[in-house]
Amino acid sequence: MPRIGVFVCQCGNNIAATVDTKKVAEEMGRLPGVVYTCDYKFMCSSPGQEMLKQAIKENNLDGVIVSACSPHMHEKTFRKASEAAGLNPYRCEITNIREQCSWVHHDRTKAVGTVKSMDLTRMTIQRLKKNRPLDKIRIPVRKRALVIGGGIAGIQAALDIAEGGREVILVEKEPSIGGNMARLSETFPTMDCSQCILTPKMVEAELNENIKLYTYSEVEKVDGYIGNFTVRIRRKSKYVDEERCTGCGECIEKCPFKVESRFELGLAKRKVIYTPFPQSVPNVPVIDAPNCPKIQKDRCGVCALVCGPKCIDFKMEDRIETVEVGAIVVATGYQLMPNARFGEYGYGRIKDVINGMQFERLASSSGPTGGEIRRPSDGKVPDSVVFIQCVGSRDEKKGVSYCSKVCCMYTAKHTMLYHHKVHGGKAYVFYMDIRCAGKRYEEFVRRAIEHDGAMYLRGRVSRVYERDGKVIVQGADTLSASQVEIEADMVVLATAIVSRDGADTLAQRLGIGYDRHRFYNEYHPKLKPVETVTAGIYLAGTCIGPMDIPESVAQGSAAASKVLALFSADEMSREPITALVNKATCNACWDCVTACPYSAIEKDAVKNRQGEIVRRLARVNDGVCQGCGVCVAACRSKSIDLKGYTDEQVFAAINAF
Amino acid sequence: MENAVREKAKGLLTSGEVKVVIGWGWNRNGTRTTPVFITRPEDAGRLVWNPLCVNNLSVYLTRKFKDIQALGRPAIVAKGCDIKNIAVLVSEAQVKREDVYIIGVTCDGVVYRQELWKGELTPNIMPTKCHNCDVRNPHIADCVIGDRSGFVPPEAPAGMVFDRIKALDAKESAQRWEFWIKEFSRCVKCYACRQVCSLCYCERCITEKNMPQWIETSAHPRGNLSWNLTRAMHLAGRCTFCGECERACPVNIPLNLVNQKLITVVKDAFDYRSGYDASAHPPMIVFSPEDKENFIK
Repeated sequence: MPRIGVFVCQCGNNIAATVDTKKVAEEMGRLPGVVYTCDYKFMCSSPGQEMLKQAIKENNLDGVIVSACSPHMHEKTFRKASEAAGLNPYRCEITNIREQCSWVHHDRTKAVGTVKSMDLTRMTIQRLKKNRPLDKIRIPVRKRALVIGGGIAGIQAALDIAEGGREVILVEKEPSIGGNMARLSETFPTMDCSQCILTPKMVEAELNENIKLYTYSEVEKVDGYIGNFTVRIRRKSKYVDEERCTGCGECIEKCPFKVESRFELGLAKRKVIYTPFPQSVPNVPVIDAPNCPKIQKDRCGVCALVCGPKCIDFKMEDRIETVEVGAIVVATGYQLMPNARFGEYGYGRIKDVINGMQFERLASSSGPTGGEIRRPSDGKVPDSVVFIQCVGSRDEKKGVSYCSKVCCMYTAKHTMLYHHKVHGGKAYVFYMDIRCAGKRYEEFVRRAIEHDGAMYLRGRVSRVYERDGKVIVQGADTLSASQVEIEADMVVLATAIVSRDGADTLAQRLGIGYDRHRFYNEYHPKLKPVETVTAGIYLAGTCIGPMDIPESVAQGSAAASKVLALFSADEMSREPITALVNKATCNACWDCVTACPYSAIEKDAVKNRQGEIVRRLARVNDGVCQGCGVCVAACRSKSIDLKGYTDEQVFAAINAF
Repeated sequence: MENAVREKAKGLLTSGEVKVVIGWGWNRNGTRTTPVFITRPEDAGRLVWNPLCVNNLSVYLTRKFKDIQALGRPAIVAKGCDIKNIAVLVSEAQVKREDVYIIGVTCDGVVYRQELWKGELTPNIMPTKCHNCDVRNPHIADCVIGDRSGFVPPEAPAGMVFDRIKALDAKESAQRWEFWIKEFSRCVKCYACRQVCSLCYCERCITEKNMPQWIETSAHPRGNLSWNLTRAMHLAGRCTFCGECERACPVNIPLNLVNQKLITVVKDAFDYRSGYDASAHPPMIVFSPEDKENFIK
């Protein structure tokens, strides 16, 4: 006969207001197998937990039930207390009589709530009787991390993990790390130069012994599970031997061919052999193969001639490297929404309509104009600039529903930079709301308006067109309820931040979730902001959603701390709530293999002594299984059970109802 | 055509390429066809092919028939509709495609029940599946015997089963419920529907699981309902509408209505039809970003 203890919590008045906890406890005491019951004001408090421990020891209980709040709240607490009293933690079960009972019933006579609490508790008692003790799963951890994306979030994560003494592989698909931040001119609200604060970090990442930089590389395949991932990385051919290149730049100097620079967003040209920007890390050029006449048509080859250390190899091919890591940080960043969708603003049609990132390049001292604000069409210094906010953001119809968060701030910054660089220039800003929540952010925008004279107009722009070398902006000023027409020299669009092309493909490779905007899903938006549902894979930066630099850096560090915590032990323990295949009845139809969202089920076979396969069956990898139960539902022959939620347990609970 | 089937079987057995040919033959009285298992080349003459060959023989490829599996590599004489089931078995790893030799036979339709045969195949004795058949020329086979059929199925599926489904759909849900409770109340739990089905290959069926016993095994209305619903759900997205279960049912429960309704639902919701692609998985167990998911909204 089992010896079960039932502890009914009053939760102050949360439960006791609509449930007669004393009666529940008494009634439960009459059921066979229940040897101890009590009710108490706060079971989760220290005295409450002590009571539980005491009762387990004194009454020699072999199972306990706490009828209290949702198991999400305190299941761990009570299981830990049970374990401390010598009980297998999985012999402790929670009945939810708060969220699923007392909170939804308003009957102060306690009639409904009490009866329902008794029903629920009785179900748990029957469930518990079929409950088997489970042991935590222990899996070894490979103490090396992979960071995908070499923007500021990824660099920060890599640096922090490396500082913690663990190896990191930092994968970046561009020839240099730095990401979008490398493009920025100054950063709000302190106006320090982006390159000046980023470059030291990039160099640090290059010099750190624990960090291996895989630039110009992409993740192709991810297998395995927390602590034991196997990742296939394609290292695209740079046509330059990284080991021997000294970064002298002679090849770039002498290369006779120029194409549009992606880094400069079409505002300047670069050579076919190139580094994206002068401070590139690593300072090794790559050859843009599709545009290189030597590689395409075997003509030219000047770079190889002038290269001192002879490190250019036109025959170099992509390499596939397979690495084993214990944790993965995804920091793939963002891109700007293609402006082509907004014809009324004339982007792409009118040369002097540019986006915010292009303005950053104009204002950057290492940019195509050396930091002078000159309009792209004729190089003239613009006398007036119109900034249009929320281009695509907060626009359910044509753009995205969300706010891109940083545009209000960077537009204010742009007006300041423009004012500082072009004295007497006039900046107009069309805005919907000014959203500047953040430390010293409001003050920053006030400064742009009050000190640097930016003219803020609340309203939308209806049309942008060219007239006599000017860009005419028609719009509404809703505060003065009037139509406005501004003759500007240049228009800057604060284009929405969107997820990267291919973000969904990468998510599918990694087995993590994404929302309808293809931003990656956190495990919990508030309480687990850098974790994903796939254990061992963490997120950082704008791949989650629009955010600014401080947030991205904080997330990089947060993800790193999660990785370091994972790496702090040689083994990690996991909840043993995993699926189990009945070897005798499995039909090997592999439906579970197909259905499993975590690739946790493998095809297995039973062999006889001669090594011949006598039976095929499915096998669950405990390290990967998350206990979601999809396979249980998919299995027609009922050959899979979920430990802790077995068919027998569920059936017993239903029967008790 | 019959002779061609016999010749092929003889050749396969003589060369040793297969150890057994599963096909149809006459019963002792020569009144009906019955499955035959030919293991010797000289017996190949027992094979027949005519509109009475209604049995779906693919069931003999499953693990339910270990004794037949033990004979060695099989060849199977199969109509297009039977091949659909073989395709599902291949996709569910029950049979390896290379482990079975499919002798496809072109077909102009079979009789709904053998007792209806009066020496001539007329449309009114053909089952609904034959009227809408798009696999009269076998779609997956190692060899095809017979002249190519030029039959083009009607654009909108038609026939008795579809008419009855339409009539049922038009009713109130309470009336539908009453209809099915009444139909299922005749069920005697003989499980003939399961035994004849090539896709019900589980070694231990859910109804035989008794720890816990999810489905009541006595012929009680409650157990009848849960058995028939479970059977239907386990075939959703897999059933090819071969119609064997209804043919086997001794109490004439209109299982074809259940099956065809499920097929229509799966087709509408997932744009999927089973039995056409041996590498496809039923939509219930796969997630695809292209899923329409209209039924969720």
